[in-house]
Amino acid sequence: MSALPLADLQQAFRAHLLGAEQTALVATAVGDRIPAPARLRIYRHHVLTSLTAALGATFSTVRAVVGDDFFAGMARAFIARSPPAGPVLSEYGAGFPDAIAGWPQARSLPYLADVARLDWALNLAYTAPDAPALTAARLAAVPPDQLGGLSLRPRPGVVLLHSRYPIDRIWALNHGGDVDTVDLDAGGVSLLVFPRIDDAALASLDAGAAALMAALAAENTLGEAVAQAMAVAPDLDVGAALGRLLALGALADPGP
Amino acid sequence: MLEIASDIAARAGIGLRARHLDEAASQAPPVSFLEIHAENYLGGGPALRKVERLRADHAMSVHGVGLSLGSADGIDAHHLGRVAALVDRLQPQLVSEHLAWSVVGGAYLNDLLPLPYTAESLAVVARNIDCVQTVLKRSLLIENPSSYVAFVQTTMTEPEFLAALVARTGCRLLCDVNNIFVSGSNVGFDPAAYLDALPAAAVAEIHLAGHACNDADGETILIDDHGSRVCDAVWSLYRRAVARFGLRPTLIEWDTDVPALDVLLEEAARADREAAAAAAGQAT
Repeated sequence: MSALPLADLQQAFRAHLLGAEQTALVATAVGDRIPAPARLRIYRHHVLTSLTAALGATFSTVRAVVGDDFFAGMARAFIARSPPAGPVLSEYGAGFPDAIAGWPQARSLPYLADVARLDWALNLAYTAPDAPALTAARLAAVPPDQLGGLSLRPRPGVVLLHSRYPIDRIWALNHGGDVDTVDLDAGGVSLLVFPRIDDAALASLDAGAAALMAALAAENTLGEAVAQAMAVAPDLDVGAALGRLLALGALADPGP
Repeated sequence: MLEIASDIAARAGIGLRARHLDEAASQAPPVSFLEIHAENYLGGGPALRKVERLRADHAMSVHGVGLSLGSADGIDAHHLGRVAALVDRLQPQLVSEHLAWSVVGGAYLNDLLPLPYTAESLAVVARNIDCVQTVLKRSLLIENPSSYVAFVQTTMTEPEFLAALVARTGCRLLCDVNNIFVSGSNVGFDPAAYLDALPAAAVAEIHLAGHACNDADGETILIDDHGSRVCDAVWSLYRRAVARFGLRPTLIEWDTDVPALDVLLEEAARADREAAAAAAGQAT
């Protein structure tokens, strides 16, 4: 009768759950009216279906686009290769967009990985720790000669995304938005994803505001960021772009 | 181990699920307490803010599902620290976890996986409970799991194992009556004898839930899916538990196909009636 040490039993159980046959585990499990392999399969089934459901909740737009069966195929391959590192399931799936990008059966859906990145960003925004946003009034109180040296950073949970595809319209189409069709050739988008009081939201940015946000997120001072944004968008209206970012709560209040 | 004052009434409460957060906040359900899953509130955001507001008006129980007390690898200090921060923030009357494991080699397997009941496992779980109780500065309630398999090397019954944990660590017990029924059917023991073997004074909370009857290779296996009303056999076992343990805070759990809040409140009201009848029967 095999008596696996607990650490070995748990390693074997993990391998079993993620799909590998484990004869040592079967040998240490009691089989009677129900054989041991059938008993052990109950746990495997639960782990794979519950983690697939967790990914489906986080990547709800991807699931809506491809349907439950296709989604489950991608999810199960991902789970077997990259099981969660911790028990907070809303934090599981950071690597899923890249896995989708490499999923052979999804090659005909080149926008799908970007849709997954949008789902992930919304998930991060929804669970972000509370942090006050920089307001226009706060910024107006800064002496003009100090503005250029300010270090303005994204508020926790705020993410800037770029895609060659209109993923904001794909998102709206699948979440009851006022969109009937999506033209995949309509051009790319820059999206800001951000937390709100009761949820998370997305908004499209024009090229100038997106360039300014990207330069601030890359830890440039406001002066440097404006210069970089103007190199990308020469007709940038700095006041309008900054006003747009402030209105969306994109930047963190730097504190006193 | 520190004992915190318990101002939680020995009546029924409900598991608070995401779809009921807003409704619970607006109508203040007439239950003894609300129980949340710790792992659902370890980030920030709107859901945690709603739970914090509910805490002001309700006794609360924080029920962990991811500390993995049975891990041979020990407790994940990072995760324990986050649970401790939530407990510190909410100051719940009760904190509980499962006699099970879910973490090995840095992977979280999202199930309450079974342990062989051996001296080695007892040492592992007792050490892990000590670790958690030291960080939380309070006694933990340990819940009996629902089992689908037993191990050939097991040398103790589950009640013996739980009683040994109570003696070694000062933990208390969360007696899940549905789990006793499910495990008894699946791995073959008498649920009534199991109840009678638990150390009654240590039982600080009771859980009730529904289960499903599935087919495994032509045989019936009960699945602890928390997806239906409590069945008659489990109500009967609950009356026996109350007769033996006395009235305890009792939770209605529902996690699959979560129904309207009113259905949970009906089940909670029935638990109160069943408990009162069982306690009265015991007194006469």
